[in-house]
Amino acid sequence: MSILAYNGGCVVAMRGKDCVAIATDHRFGIQAQTISTDFKKVFHIGPRMFLGLTGLQTDILTVRDRLMFRKNLYETRENREMCPKPFSAMMSSFLYEHRFGPYFIEPVVAGLDPKTMEPFICNMDLIGCPNAPDDFVVAGTCAEQLYGMCETLWKPDLEPDQLFEVIAQSIVNAFDRDAMSGWGATVYIIEKDKITERTLKTRMD
Amino acid sequence: MDLDNARELPRAGFNFDNCKRNATLLNRGFKPPITTKTGTTIVGIIYKDGVILGADTRATEGPIVSDKNCAKIHYLAKNIYCCGAGTAADTEMTTDLISSQLELHRLQTDREVRVVAANTMLKQMLFRYQGHISAALVLGGVDKTGPHIYSIHPHGSSDKLPYATMGSGSLAAMTVFESRWKPDLSEEEGKKLVRDADPTGVFNDLGSGSNIDLCVIRKGSVEYLRNYELANKKGKRQLDYRFKTGTSTVLHTNIKDLLVTERVQAVPMEIS
Amino acid sequence: METLLGIKGPDFVMLAADTTHARSIIVMKEDQNKIHKVSDSLLISTVGESGDTEQFTEFISKNIALYKMRNGYDLSPRESAHFTRKNLAEYLRSRTPYQVFMFVAGYDPNAGPELTFIDYLANALPVNYAGHGYGAIFASSIYDRYWHPNITQAEAYDVFKKCIAEIQKRLVVNLKNFTVAVVDKDGVRDLEPISAASLAA
Repeated sequence: MSILAYNGGCVVAMRGKDCVAIATDHRFGIQAQTISTDFKKVFHIGPRMFLGLTGLQTDILTVRDRLMFRKNLYETRENREMCPKPFSAMMSSFLYEHRFGPYFIEPVVAGLDPKTMEPFICNMDLIGCPNAPDDFVVAGTCAEQLYGMCETLWKPDLEPDQLFEVIAQSIVNAFDRDAMSGWGATVYIIEKDKITERTLKTRMD
Repeated sequence: MDLDNARELPRAGFNFDNCKRNATLLNRGFKPPITTKTGTTIVGIIYKDGVILGADTRATEGPIVSDKNCAKIHYLAKNIYCCGAGTAADTEMTTDLISSQLELHRLQTDREVRVVAANTMLKQMLFRYQGHISAALVLGGVDKTGPHIYSIHPHGSSDKLPYATMGSGSLAAMTVFESRWKPDLSEEEGKKLVRDADPTGVFNDLGSGSNIDLCVIRKGSVEYLRNYELANKKGKRQLDYRFKTGTSTVLHTNIKDLLVTERVQAVPMEIS
Repeated sequence: METLLGIKGPDFVMLAADTTHARSIIVMKEDQNKIHKVSDSLLISTVGESGDTEQFTEFISKNIALYKMRNGYDLSPRESAHFTRKNLAEYLRSRTPYQVFMFVAGYDPNAGPELTFIDYLANALPVNYAGHGYGAIFASSIYDRYWHPNITQAEAYDVFKKCIAEIQKRLVVNLKNFTVAVVDKDGVRDLEPISAASLAA
């Protein structure tokens, strides 16, 4: 078994029209044993920026803490908010720093640029190879299923309400075919003026 | 505590903190995760007035296509570009690093940097890491000594060639060059040759796919032709999946308003 | 082989731990306490590699005590859990990693009770109920059935009794005795141990 599948879990992010969505499942397990169904792998790290981390939970926590340290240091030094793009660049170099002893995580960043309000999504492999497409990004134990769901359901310029339905159906149906993730899901829709957090009703098996 | 904080400040170079732990974990029978690779067909030729680089745009994670349209022709300097194959993060970071060093070199010497300089810096870096940085590169550029193509292998060896191919599709692409390349091609002929060579990789090698990027470097000018050829267009979707609002059952909703309306009220100062 | 159990209620956290100290196939002693009182309102229960458990728990608890001496106030349960996890994660990357599984349980007058699950990889998560070791496999379904958000201390103690009865019935390893401790607004205190004899009575 891959070390990335030790705890299970998945994250997906999508671009919409002037909005982005990011969704996470809730499972935290140790291999096949579910310990908790209340672990969200998505963290609110800026007014309009979210960071999703899948993989080994200990590294999720460590990487989240280290990145927050660097982000806060940047914001203190520069006295301005960190945008999603430089944050991803910082994360990429942080992960590549550990090229030969990596953290076992796969990150996803979603947010709006604070100035232009341009939607931004990005994911990386565990050594920080950035990938910022204009449709969707996925990570986690059911990445394959998510690719399939997103590839069929996503289309350009979805409005926030439609984007929610698309991302919700994608993640729910993807992790129904994955034993290692699921047990509830949360979707965040980030718009210019508000962030909507919705908890989904899912199968609990 | 202060020491703890200072220790977390980013230090230059690679960090090997996790190595021991990761080795223990992998010893317990866990499989190491796969990194994003660019299976890739990358090519480069010399033509009459300069060089032409070509690349496909597929990135893979094992059998999964992780990026359908990535850019594999990296900027090194105004007159030098470099195609990368191998571990995607390695090609990305290596070319970025050398690009900054070349710019510093240019500022220090106050001259346009030469392609040999880029070649030497790249191969010295790759040799230093003994092949652990798996970047296979096709370097191309034009300087005062003329047009140059180099192919650089992950262990730090390099060849200076009139035409070069790299990556998993290199054999397929090379067949086209071997039969059709000749000295002093015109730009149109050169572009046609690269445009014909690269898709042989795209269509015959599973590691390469999607579109073709081209980069034409002439003396004094560069033309980066991103998605020069859309070799694989997706079929148009006839109908779409539209969900009625409310399809997904929501347990609870929490809306955070980001618009802060601030009102400043003047408070009269107390005068004694 | 050893087992830890933990339950969080609305205003308390209760821990239980077996008292067996075994080496290979031999039981060395039957009265080892694995629930450590770290401060007035903090408990840490630890199992794992036998030398590591004592060493690491002592290292953490003395540092938490030092923090109080230096600053004049205690580390909150959340902070204690973060400190514990961070140290475990750092030792994991050293030549001498600690092989320990633990619960950090505490009561914060402002934030309420907190129960944190930590395993040897420094995976950590605040939970309502959880277990460590083979016994936890039997406990999880009992927790799911009997835990509720307004659980009282008496009910939690009862849930432990149910878990331990099941462990003693179904687990091939003989875990005779369990110590129980609770932390709430009045501080930490030991409860009556649960043993095969007390369950039979």
